[in-house]
Amino acid sequence: MSLTGTFARGLWKENPIFRLVLGMCPTLAVSTSVENGIGMGLAATFVLICSNMLIALLRDFIPRKVRIPAYIVIIACFVTIVDLVMHAYLPALHRSLGIFIPLIVVNCIILGRAEAFASRNGVIASLADGLGMGLGFTLALLSLGTIREVLGNGSLLGITLFGVEFQPALVMILPPGAFITLGLLLALMNRLEERRAIRAGETYEPPREMDCGNCVLCRLDEEPAAKRA
Amino acid sequence: MKEILNLGLRLALICGVAALLLSQVDATTREPIRQAMLRERMAAVAAVMPPFDNAPDADRVDLTDGPGERSYWRGFQGEAPVGAAFKALSGSGYSGEIELMLGVDGEGKVSGLRILRHTETPGLGAKYADPALLARLYAGRALADTDWRVKADGGDLDAVTGATVTGRALAGAIGAALTQYDADRAQVAAAPRAAVADSSAGEVAP
Repeated sequence: MSLTGTFARGLWKENPIFRLVLGMCPTLAVSTSVENGIGMGLAATFVLICSNMLIALLRDFIPRKVRIPAYIVIIACFVTIVDLVMHAYLPALHRSLGIFIPLIVVNCIILGRAEAFASRNGVIASLADGLGMGLGFTLALLSLGTIREVLGNGSLLGITLFGVEFQPALVMILPPGAFITLGLLLALMNRLEERRAIRAGETYEPPREMDCGNCVLCRLDEEPAAKRA
Repeated sequence: MKEILNLGLRLALICGVAALLLSQVDATTREPIRQAMLRERMAAVAAVMPPFDNAPDADRVDLTDGPGERSYWRGFQGEAPVGAAFKALSGSGYSGEIELMLGVDGEGKVSGLRILRHTETPGLGAKYADPALLARLYAGRALADTDWRVKADGGDLDAVTGATVTGRALAGAIGAALTQYDADRAQVAAAPRAAVADSSAGEVAP
């Protein structure tokens, strides 16, 4: 696949949140406002790019049997660096994202891309994949955050949009609002894909190859999916 | 056996390099982080106290006797004390601790407050983080003239609709901190000023 193809895949076709449905914990927790969404998205993108590149570089050095602990150490290392550097030089941003930064370690998008892509591709391709997936994650958080902040708080980027008569739907920035918004956006994306398929005269099949039953992450002893396919 | 050794060595190597890298980053960022935290705290002190012209951190009084360590940042205009700032902590918020910086004027009235950290629910308890709301609810009140409980509990204080738990936690924490300050007040006032030369230098500067 071309580099641009690898990059663009993360934005829509294999968007980590809307298509792969990965990294739900930070997605649901952080998308209460646009600012949080962007901050979390960019921090995760940075870690994703770094870990993807390093894991691609070390892919022949890391033994397959201990690859998961090795990936986690590498990811945790980058997350800690981001945490410390942000605390030292961007204290305001660190303040608003504080508790979410360490959570990037357990963001399964990052481990998932390390396993599914970086461990069997080159450094440059892994960079493109990390950038695409990271920006796809950021865009998804941005759209969720926009909807939730406007409806649930009546503001955008902290600026109040409506007059005092506007009663924000509080539920939208509470946890249920995250599930409702995410569900509706997932349905919308499936609907768009379905219509595109109908126009093109194909039968639409919801994405299947990326569900849990086909994920190789938990099967330590198996060969990579690339070889099975 | 040979394989286990190989796996262990490689993993150990990765961990070792990571540890080395992190210790370097930690050494480089430790001082900037300390500075950033100090700046943040001083900004909060400056925001809550009445106008002053000294360096409150230099005129800080640290008390270690009694219930835990307390720090009081003192403000002066020239030689005259104008007030103090100190922290209040509540463990009974809706989720997790709430820490605030509290400022009082010379008469012991609350001159301002800022929430330093909290993890209250967005849209409900988190509304208290707004300085204007905090000022409306609590500024100008003193320990003596206020029943530091929310109205729902029979006290004098309003609470945000739907966020009484947070309001109750804040009222309790502020009341407790004011009570503690009242007890420490003589000691704080009696403490010598750190460096008189500093404050006179501050007066000379425009």
